[in-house]
Amino acid sequence: MLPQFSYVRPDTLQDTVRHLKEKNAAIHAGGTDLIGCLRDGIMQVDKIVSLNALSDLHGIRETADGGLVIGALTTITEVAENLLVKQKYPGLSQGSSEVASPQLRNQGTIGGNLCQKPRCWYYRGEFHCLRKGGNTCYALDGEHQFHAIFGHDLICVITHPSDTAPPLAALSAQLKISGPEGSRTVPVENFYLLPVEDLETETVLKPGEVITHIVLPAPAKNLRSSYRKVRARRSWDFALAGLALALEIENDTVTRGRVYLSGAAPVPWRSRPVEEAITGRKLDAATIQKAALAVVEDANPLPENTYKMDLFKGVVEEELNAIR
Amino acid sequence: MAEQKNSYYTQGLSVPETPAPGEEPAFWKQTHVVGKRLPRVDAYERVSGAAVYPSDITLPNMIYGAVLRCPHPHANVTKVDVSRAKKMPGVRAVITGQTPEAKKLKWKYNDYSGPLFDTHCRFEGEAVAAVAADTHFQAWDAVRAIDVAYEVLPFVADHNKALSDDAPDIHDSGNLVGTDEYERGDVARGFDAADVVLEQEYHTQSELHTPMELHGCVAGWDKDRLTLWESTQGVYAVQSEIAEILNLPLSKVRVIGHYMGGGFGSKLKPGKYTVLAALLARQSGRPVKLILTREETYLCTGNRPASTMHLKAGVKKDGTLTACDFTCTGPSGAYPAGGTALVDWQIRDLYACDNVRCASKDVYINAGPARPFRAPGHPQASWALEQMMDDLADKIGMDPVALRLKNIPEISQGRNQPYTTTGLKQCIEKGAEQFGWKKAVERAKAHNQTDTHIKRGVGMGACVWFVGGGGPPSTVIIKLFRDGSVNLNMGASDIGTGTKTVMAMVAAEELGVAPEVIQIEHADTETTQYATPSGGSKTVPTESPTVRNAAIAVKRQLLEMASEDLNVPASDLDYEGAQIISRNDKNKRIKVTDVSRLKKRGVVVGVGYRGPNPPKKSVNPFAAQFCELAVNTKTGEMQILRFLSANDSGRVLDRLTYDNQVFGGIVMGIGFGMTEFRQLDARQTGRLCNRNWHDYKLPTALDVPVDMESLPIEIDDPEANNTGTKGLGEPVTIPTAAAIANALFMATGIRFTRAPVNPIEMRRHLTAKKEG
Ligand SMILES: Cc1cc2nc3c(=O)[nH]c(=O)nc-3n(C[C@H](O)[C@H](O)[C@H](O)COP(=O)(O)OP(=O)(O)OC[C@H]3O[C@@H](n4cnc5c(N)ncnc54)[C@H](O)[C@@H]3O)c2cc1C
Ligand code: SF4
Repeated sequence: MLPQFSYVRPDTLQDTVRHLKEKNAAIHAGGTDLIGCLRDGIMQVDKIVSLNALSDLHGIRETADGGLVIGALTTITEVAENLLVKQKYPGLSQGSSEVASPQLRNQGTIGGNLCQKPRCWYYRGEFHCLRKGGNTCYALDGEHQFHAIFGHDLICVITHPSDTAPPLAALSAQLKISGPEGSRTVPVENFYLLPVEDLETETVLKPGEVITHIVLPAPAKNLRSSYRKVRARRSWDFALAGLALALEIENDTVTRGRVYLSGAAPVPWRSRPVEEAITGRKLDAATIQKAALAVVEDANPLPENTYKMDLFKGVVEEELNAIR
Repeated sequence: MAEQKNSYYTQGLSVPETPAPGEEPAFWKQTHVVGKRLPRVDAYERVSGAAVYPSDITLPNMIYGAVLRCPHPHANVTKVDVSRAKKMPGVRAVITGQTPEAKKLKWKYNDYSGPLFDTHCRFEGEAVAAVAADTHFQAWDAVRAIDVAYEVLPFVADHNKALSDDAPDIHDSGNLVGTDEYERGDVARGFDAADVVLEQEYHTQSELHTPMELHGCVAGWDKDRLTLWESTQGVYAVQSEIAEILNLPLSKVRVIGHYMGGGFGSKLKPGKYTVLAALLARQSGRPVKLILTREETYLCTGNRPASTMHLKAGVKKDGTLTACDFTCTGPSGAYPAGGTALVDWQIRDLYACDNVRCASKDVYINAGPARPFRAPGHPQASWALEQMMDDLADKIGMDPVALRLKNIPEISQGRNQPYTTTGLKQCIEKGAEQFGWKKAVERAKAHNQTDTHIKRGVGMGACVWFVGGGGPPSTVIIKLFRDGSVNLNMGASDIGTGTKTVMAMVAAEELGVAPEVIQIEHADTETTQYATPSGGSKTVPTESPTVRNAAIAVKRQLLEMASEDLNVPASDLDYEGAQIISRNDKNKRIKVTDVSRLKKRGVVVGVGYRGPNPPKKSVNPFAAQFCELAVNTKTGEMQILRFLSANDSGRVLDRLTYDNQVFGGIVMGIGFGMTEFRQLDARQTGRLCNRNWHDYKLPTALDVPVDMESLPIEIDDPEANNTGTKGLGEPVTIPTAAAIANALFMATGIRFTRAPVNPIEMRRHLTAKKEG
């Protein structure tokens, strides 16, 4: 049952920000995550501020330098199917098409996808856990087979649920954000907060702030990108393990590489060990083997999710073989 | 049908002969409607949204109910204060254990009876109070305004710990619900005679019923008479139970359940919610709609209990099974509810074996009570037995298909009676042939020799279903109106399986009318006839013979009437659909619609009853399933490539609805074997972790193969009943998971003894195997 709330749909960004400054106001984009959160009572919301009248936030366009700007309200289906995205950033297109189900992709927006709340079943259930202001993480000693193996510091072991954030981070995308104090730009890689940094919010967004656009730099000439996701069932499910690659490959050698993992950590997790294992090297069997071992180097798995260690190794092996 | 204008008859069809009064109808040799692929008679209503399900009902002045549920797996309610809730806007009724109407009422689980509101809450989701208000929102606000205090008690959520000394007692009698033991022959001698003896422990997880339509009803009183629009598998079952609980005459309880969105066993009976809705309606003087949320249904409307099984089996080198020793522990949940019901039937009955011992232990845990779940008990033991058969075959170097064929029993050993017919052998043989078993095995093995991390496997399993023969009682009425149109009246529910369609086909076959013109009235205790609930795969074998008998009763009367018009004895007349003709003088004929007494009366009413089942024989369906799949040994991902199900369920009535059952059963079996499990937070709070459709993982369209094949093995079974039908809805899901596990073994060399095998489980085992 939904709680009581008021609803506004301002037509300017300025008004949107003004409404959002109020206590317990929340942004509504596609509503696919927000409505579930309200129904499950995981946050107190008194006012819902719809972005849907902000036409500037829709659509995908090419920038002068050959990059792309994606409006935060662009649906995930549009991102997945857009030809420019497919050409320039196949990893983002693949990541988008791996999200949820066709219905959710048609309704959900990319901005909402980046800002969605965690999917830990304690958090979504009637458990007053640490992240909801309680004093214990139920997952740590409980049922954590779907939880994180990196970056949790044994505080909160969620995995970040987004399938678009890892490829965006790998592709060095930036987020344009508007808020009460004006606009700012934050790289996707700096957008998320680890539990040690802040336990109750997942992103650096301050009250009243809205993501308006996602900016992707022009793809380097030799850029290859991909996204691979493994899940417990083949559709409508979050990642057990995912891998976003953005590699520049010249003469078979990786000259630059950014590697992000999903299903791994409370944030899209940058795998520097894998990057180091492959940068400056040919993607031959030996390198791939090394990268596969490297991916779990600093992992800290829990008793029920150690399977993720070999899973990530397997995904890295498969995907590096596929991309070379 | 334009050319048929005023006639509702399908022209040019021959109609089965009408048996003389007192004679049983002959077995259909050749059929004209039955066996075809006929779309659902109610397809338009279902697809257009015109079909009204209980969740769609809105009545004038109707209000909404909501239930306060215990959030703890085990607690004593020490205080329920509804004073604030009662004063909330829109609230018209509030009931608790202290409300006079509710205080004396009992709620039953099998042979257990306790107060409707028990202050000792034994599972998360137990009802503590209920309210009804003008809107949903008001009702839930009022639920939240009820002040309850609980004394939280220690719980046990793991059935393997339920009987340990430190487990809290859930009932005064302890945590043992009951045991069941069975023995034939001499197991020890059997093992001595074996060349190979293997034993293994197997585990399956609890599955939650997930029908599309949520559980619930609308309840309304008209003075002292209660009407319930209930999403149910059986309106008469709801009527009798509610009448008993509320102490009302059956005639004062009307239950209507025309359309319903699935139950899979969990809607064979009313829910506690049904009683609560009735009480709230009585207190408020308004009709009350009480439809549960998905979270509530996951907590308290049933489940397939988990199982821990142990199977030891012996075989001779030539493939003869010499002994099976099986034990199982399973949880009923918080009340007696069949935690191990029927779990050993595959072991007792499926394969020929002289020495068999089975022992099962049903235990209490602090979780929602079980309810029958499509083929109760069977997929669990099939998971054990069919994997064991493959292991035995492997050890003696025999093909798994051949081993099974070597052990086809001649009689039902579990009952020590013959079957009317058994198609077990044909299901396995013909299924293997159609599947291309031998080639598929060779192909997979050759593929696995190549340098690839995608491995392939094929696997199979067979089954028998415990019942499936249906039986009395059932009454069906067929009315033939003076224009020749037909009304079929039966109490049975169509739970989505196509009951209405197949019954129309049976009536059409017998009367020679087009199935489309048969109007069906069903599932209403006031206007339709007594029927048992649709479950146990018994609706077709119960109702179709009854429909046939009703149609014959119509025909017999028409012949009597026509004999007056034609001046020949009825015994000399043939009913041929549109007309009635004298056998001796073909010129003596009359159109059915011209029969004088029919014209005068306006209607002929034929009543059919379900006759008895054959004495001392067992009517059972059989099946064998085959699958091929691929495993990614780096990631643990699996893809089922194809499935084939060969089913002996007697005569096929509608090939379309038949295949629907087969495919649906395979899909559900894939859920049991690969995706679904109830996760309790057993080590901390005992509460349910996965209570939504994301966390409770039903298979999606991408988890099931496009290539599914249904192969009916039709064996004439005139003894079973007069339509020669046996049940289908449950056998189709019994061996599915085991067939998958066997294919996984071929692909990976790993025995997956724990269901479900999802990529997590697969990856864990791949790692364990690598590490030796
Ligand atoms: C059953 C299910 C399965 C799913 N599976 C997957 C999956 O496999 N992979 C995956 O990646 N996702 C998955 N999702 C999440 C889904 O992709 C998101 O719900 C969707 O992308 C959110 O978009 P929306 O527009 O509907 O956001 P909303 O629900 O409207 O908003 C989501 C959150 O973001 C905030 N927000 C929205 N837009 C902005 C903005 N522009 N600026 C700042 N804050 C904003 C809202 O306040 C809210 O807190 C799943 C969701 C469901 C319900
Ligand atoms: S993992 Fe985080 S969200 Fe989940 S229970 Fe622990 S603290 Fe709460």
